[in-house]
Amino acid sequence: MHQDKNVERRTVLKAAGASLAVAGLGATATACGGGSGSGDGTVTIRYAWWGAEDRAERIKKTIALFEKKYPKIKVKTDFQVYPDFWKKFNTQASGGNPPDVFQNAIGFLRKYDAKNVLLDLNAQVEAGNLSLDGFRAGLEKFGEVDGKLLGIPVGSNSMALVIDKPVYTKSGVKPEQGWTWDDFDAAMKKIRDKAGRAGDSGMYGVMYLYDLYLRQNGKAFFTEDGLGFTEADLKEWWTKAEKGIKQGIYADPKKVAQTKPKSAVAAELAAGEFTWDNFTVRYTSEGKSEYGLAPIPTTDGKKTGQYLGSLMLSASRRTQHPKEVAQFINFMVHEPEVAKIMGYDRGVPATQAQYDAFKPTDPVNKAIAEYEESLVAAGVLEPITPHPNGADICEAGFMRIAEELALGKRSVDDAVKQFFTESKTALGS
Amino acid sequence: MGTAVTHAPATEDLTKDSEPRHRPAKSPRPAALKRRGRRETLAGYLFMSPWIAGFLLLTAGPMVASLYFAFTDYNLFDAPRWIGLDNFSEMFADPRWQNSVKVTLWYVAVGTPIKLIAALGVALLLAQKRRGQAFYRAAFYAPSLIGASVSIAIVWKAIFSDDAIVDRTQKLFGIDVGGWTGDPDLIIYSLVALTVWQFGAPMVIFLAGLKQVPRELYEAAEVDGAGTFRRFWNITLPMISPVLFFNVLLETIHSFQIFSSAYIVGGGAGGNACGPADGSMVYTCYLYVQGFENSRMGLASAMAWVLLVAVALVTAVLFWSQKRWVHYEEGA
Repeated sequence: MHQDKNVERRTVLKAAGASLAVAGLGATATACGGGSGSGDGTVTIRYAWWGAEDRAERIKKTIALFEKKYPKIKVKTDFQVYPDFWKKFNTQASGGNPPDVFQNAIGFLRKYDAKNVLLDLNAQVEAGNLSLDGFRAGLEKFGEVDGKLLGIPVGSNSMALVIDKPVYTKSGVKPEQGWTWDDFDAAMKKIRDKAGRAGDSGMYGVMYLYDLYLRQNGKAFFTEDGLGFTEADLKEWWTKAEKGIKQGIYADPKKVAQTKPKSAVAAELAAGEFTWDNFTVRYTSEGKSEYGLAPIPTTDGKKTGQYLGSLMLSASRRTQHPKEVAQFINFMVHEPEVAKIMGYDRGVPATQAQYDAFKPTDPVNKAIAEYEESLVAAGVLEPITPHPNGADICEAGFMRIAEELALGKRSVDDAVKQFFTESKTALGS
Repeated sequence: MGTAVTHAPATEDLTKDSEPRHRPAKSPRPAALKRRGRRETLAGYLFMSPWIAGFLLLTAGPMVASLYFAFTDYNLFDAPRWIGLDNFSEMFADPRWQNSVKVTLWYVAVGTPIKLIAALGVALLLAQKRRGQAFYRAAFYAPSLIGASVSIAIVWKAIFSDDAIVDRTQKLFGIDVGGWTGDPDLIIYSLVALTVWQFGAPMVIFLAGLKQVPRELYEAAEVDGAGTFRRFWNITLPMISPVLFFNVLLETIHSFQIFSSAYIVGGGAGGNACGPADGSMVYTCYLYVQGFENSRMGLASAMAWVLLVAVALVTAVLFWSQKRWVHYEEGA
């Protein structure tokens, strides 16, 4: 009996050991089998983007369309809100497991090119899997860095002043193309006095607006490898900000901080905000008022310093299916049906075919189309400011330090000094 | 530490107990016995192996790696580059790092004592026999079960925002400072409130400690004419000092590691990294920002080790101080 018991135990142990080993092997097998593709030639690619829920719904519809046309390619999706997107992406990419294709923007091209993450799509263009024909306004060049094709634009957008229309009307303010900063400052005061609302949500921390202001004065936020302005320039910009907050023409920064991620305009804390024109789509879903687009104020009455920005699709250099990824991008930028589903959610479609396919009927999308057309007509568009490696960290620092200034935690001098210190670190490394 | 001390002998007894059971009473073959002993040891390790593998792969391995990264410039993508102590000198000179240390120390120094005093106070009330005792204990304990969750942090953020319940209540009393979460100086107090609200866990430990105090000490003191306060100060406090020490130690270490509540109440996804103007940028939040937002894993690893050493030092000081105020019963 005693002997038997022992045998029994040994068997149990062996079984336990064996199952452990099997479990271990199984785990390794699944870990290595992250790659895709199966016997019947079906290929799976992973696609990740940032955005809100409504963008995800639209994108999923376009993917269904794609999978119908390419039954041998399956698309797995993943999305986050903007600030979380890159955290997850960095972690995945550094582990050698980035999504095969993902949303991107100009500010990140050099950064991820330097890290060898992005696939040069030129080879796929030559192979005929991806077409660069039919893009509007030279947009096909937007994803080029040092001769490498690192991203394909899906839409174009530009900076604008998004306004709460009824508040502007009530205050008797009518912004026109070519209005100056003096006009703008006077309008802000008028809105505060007549509508009892701050005129702006916090323009002093918007890097892309300060860039336009600098460009109007022959400078720019970035050069190819550093900052394009001096401490004295920024001191002037932020001194004006400090004054404006005290006077109540810029919204109370405490309230703006609490309403995030909702915009201060939609939360009725401010009558306007400088941001990308396609954001009116989002504001309309967030807020109750009617939102419109106003032109960027100028220094000399003509030059706004504006350029077209763009969201893009990039491919991972580590993808095992470059051909399928190229076919996917090609479909997403050229297929007219895709534009009908997406609307102007990611900006005005990049290709002429898609642009023609979606004719807006609602006032919000119509306003965006009119705004971009008016920019072309006014001839104010210029080439884009370069974005060196580290630009994204500079932008985050600019926003944060401006907020600290607004909340009274830093003097202007201190804030300027801090920003230059941080930028030097971010751009230097 | 009281609990740990009582635990240790208990485990020892168990092993002593079980050994003879496996061993045949009188064995004629010591060699076979040895072999079986070895086999059993092996079996023991085999059964422990999932835990050991987990410890080595998920805890010890990454710790060693992070110690190495702490001395390198590592951005997740390129191979780590050895830079000696540069991470540390950069860290100590960084005003945002200094701010995060200040915020964290403030949080620990304010939150921990208030929490422990609340826990002890309620424990004293609940230690007396009364109707519905079990219900009260459960009710006060519940927050510490759910308090660390993300959903509570989201609720907390809503409570302390503009025009929410706290803002409106303080306005009733003529205090108009707005919501706490938008104010860089006040947001940390909403986090202190969140941790104090979870006093249930130390309270339960205090309750257990209070039960251990012999009744006759109180009776003797009462005969000698000692009042309530006197009895608390001269009997209760010294008698529960090992439990108090244990709670102080645990809560202090725990407070230093605050992350998720600060991250979420301070904005989290879609908002500020950690509070307006870094108002709730506690140490671990800044560590996270450096590591995952700025992709500076080397620097973040260095920060983690500095935190570990700092917490170890605080713990050492606490242990050293217990000679002065913690009374263990002689000969127990």
